Amino acid sequence: MHALLLARWIALAIALGLCSVAHARDTLADAKVRGALIWGADQEGGAPFIYPSEQDQETLVGFEVEMAEALSKHLGVPITFQQSQWDALPSMLEADKVDIVLNGYEWMPDRVAAMETSIPYYVYALQLMVLQDGPITGWAQLRAPKADGEKWRFGVLSGSAAEEYLADFPDSVDIIPYDGGTDAMREVETGKLDATLQDTPIANFYAKDFPKLRLADAPVAEGFYVVYARKGDRALIDGINAGIAAMYRDGTLERIYRRYAMWDAQQAKLADIIDAGKYYNFAPALADALPAPTDAAPAADDGAMLAETSDKSAGAKIAEYGALLAASAGMTVALSALSFPLAVALGMLVALGRLYGPGWLRLPLTGYVEFLRGTPLMLQLYFIFYFLPEVGIAIPAFPTAIIGLAINYSAYESEIYRAGLQAIPPGQLEAALSLGMSRPQAIRRIVVPQAFRIVIPPMVNDFIAMFKDTSVCSVVTLVELTKRFSVLSRNNVSDLVTLMVLTGLLYLAMSYPMSLLARRIERTLGHEGTP
Amino acid sequence: MIAVEQLTKRHGALTILDQLSLTVQRGEVAAIIGPSGGGKSTFLRCINGLERIQGGRVTVGDLQLVPETDPRRDAALLQAVRKTVGFVFQQFNLFPHLDVLANLVEAPVQVNGEDRGSAEARGMQLLERVGMAHKARAYPKDLSGGQQQRVAIARTLTMRPDCILFDEPTSALDPVMAGEVLKVITDLARGHQTMIVVTHSMSFAREVSDHVHVFAGGKDVEHGPPAQIFGDPQHEITRAFLKDAGRD
Repeated sequence: MHALLLARWIALAIALGLCSVAHARDTLADAKVRGALIWGADQEGGAPFIYPSEQDQETLVGFEVEMAEALSKHLGVPITFQQSQWDALPSMLEADKVDIVLNGYEWMPDRVAAMETSIPYYVYALQLMVLQDGPITGWAQLRAPKADGEKWRFGVLSGSAAEEYLADFPDSVDIIPYDGGTDAMREVETGKLDATLQDTPIANFYAKDFPKLRLADAPVAEGFYVVYARKGDRALIDGINAGIAAMYRDGTLERIYRRYAMWDAQQAKLADIIDAGKYYNFAPALADALPAPTDAAPAADDGAMLAETSDKSAGAKIAEYGALLAASAGMTVALSALSFPLAVALGMLVALGRLYGPGWLRLPLTGYVEFLRGTPLMLQLYFIFYFLPEVGIAIPAFPTAIIGLAINYSAYESEIYRAGLQAIPPGQLEAALSLGMSRPQAIRRIVVPQAFRIVIPPMVNDFIAMFKDTSVCSVVTLVELTKRFSVLSRNNVSDLVTLMVLTGLLYLAMSYPMSLLARRIERTLGHEGTP
Repeated sequence: MIAVEQLTKRHGALTILDQLSLTVQRGEVAAIIGPSGGGKSTFLRCINGLERIQGGRVTVGDLQLVPETDPRRDAALLQAVRKTVGFVFQQFNLFPHLDVLANLVEAPVQVNGEDRGSAEARGMQLLERVGMAHKARAYPKDLSGGQQQRVAIARTLTMRPDCILFDEPTSALDPVMAGEVLKVITDLARGHQTMIVVTHSMSFAREVSDHVHVFAGGKDVEHGPPAQIFGDPQHEITRAFLKDAGRD
């Protein structure tokens, strides 16, 4: 109890008044007051769920975008999209950062236990994808390892049902998790993977982008996409269930699914579920009653999104990508430019405390440095973003990233400054003291300015490293340059090289001027007297 | 002015200084000579509190340093002692990031809150006095050792110390540069500046000092007026040391 209170106060201090306290649970009513229900999804997960439009990369499209629009009419509240890492979505829900998860999340018993669960809005299955002329023809041969005794290498979306399904083949299959579905498909094309197991909507949607792959065998392990909400949000789930049922009955769902080549015979089961009225906790009974999956070819509609092809020139595409990436580079610059000065100030205080502070302060400061250097930045960001809300401290994504980066880097900076301060000959401090200066005066006026000249090169090095480390901030939902690159590259598979070159150039454009500036400062100070 | 009584300095079990006593009155010059490793520098560092002492006491005017004096707790006392007692180092220890005049102005402005303009004017006078006015805007790295030491002496004078401790001020210098520095110190002595000088230059010690102490192995083996120490040394160690020094 005391520990919790303490943790709360420490967290409060860190939050510096940026916090808002978690609210009680009738999210639907709250959302109506607020004027927005927040929907969490990951555009990097890509088509056909939610992805940047081919025509206009700044507009998000996908069957879930259209579903969300239709659902908002039924719920009577606008639904706003919140970008988040796909596998972090349940944490986002728990931390009150989003209100619903609607993003190809499969019905799974442990998720149902942890969250409120809607009725299914889509019946998917898992599709085996292999090389056109590869050795794999079907599931039968995957029960045993390859002829040479090696296991089959399978790429899957991290945390997906496919990953869980393959866990039943421990002797014959190696699972390699990916953050996006198309990554695994590309790796199968290049021969690094033997196969990938994808949800049917993804497999069907991307088949045209990966001509070297084919769909092998019938889909397996049928399952359901459902909407998740926070535990206790029954009113919200009831509203969503009513919305899904209405959308099914009036043909809205079928119309949307046909646009994305997702409508198949399996979807008839939605009628069983909806007409059976098993809205809540439907699945255990129903799953048993469901017939085995059948091989149902997807039927594409005329106005299908699949038929969408780009008629843009290469130049227009580069301009569009460049503009989008440059905008996200702005986030990268903002994160670095705000965090680094904080890290420098904090690091300086820590270094001075360790070298010149009172004895009792040194151990805690050493602990601070070792802890922050010894644990990953990503984990620290997770802690601030997803754990602190549990004790009542909800810090928005941007300040979270600033605080996380500043604290993490302050540990590295403090070590640089400590080395720099120790490199100043003790005679300098003694000379200053002998002139009657106080210790703080001597340190501030004589030792620190000299140490500063020594630490410029390693500091600039760290600043440049921070530019690149900001990419970790995508775990707290920020879309900076690397995340934008991931989203674009996974949804525009054929433009991968263009995107890589543009992204690389932008990073260089940010870090190279820093190097030049550092060299200039060093030259200027070099004219004065470093011994 | 300065009275050191029964000063003892130990590092663990090792005794560096063994019950040393020395007194300088206002306007007097004391010289400390003796073989290397005899504890001469440590003795000076104890006087202005750069080293803690383990026995005896140091009295500077009405200030006193004792074994209980704690660098953190008694920071104000140490600061007061150091404002009264200047220190000139063997290695000069000029501040490399400041030019010559800024080296001189730093302490008066930071410690005494003097106005920068008047501190600079006085700094220029002192540079004039040590023959370094023409280098006021040079940085330490562009000066010779002798020039640096003359600036360091001027820097110490900016604080108007009652007494100056010189810790082998010419040991890091060649004979020509040592000469110009010794001339500055000799001028100070003629002006009745109180000082304690640790030196390897016997002729200098003989010329400027009112009394000479011979330290060896942490003990004061012999002291007296220069005529007596150099003309009629009593102790075997003094005789051997002066014989060696004479060969240099």
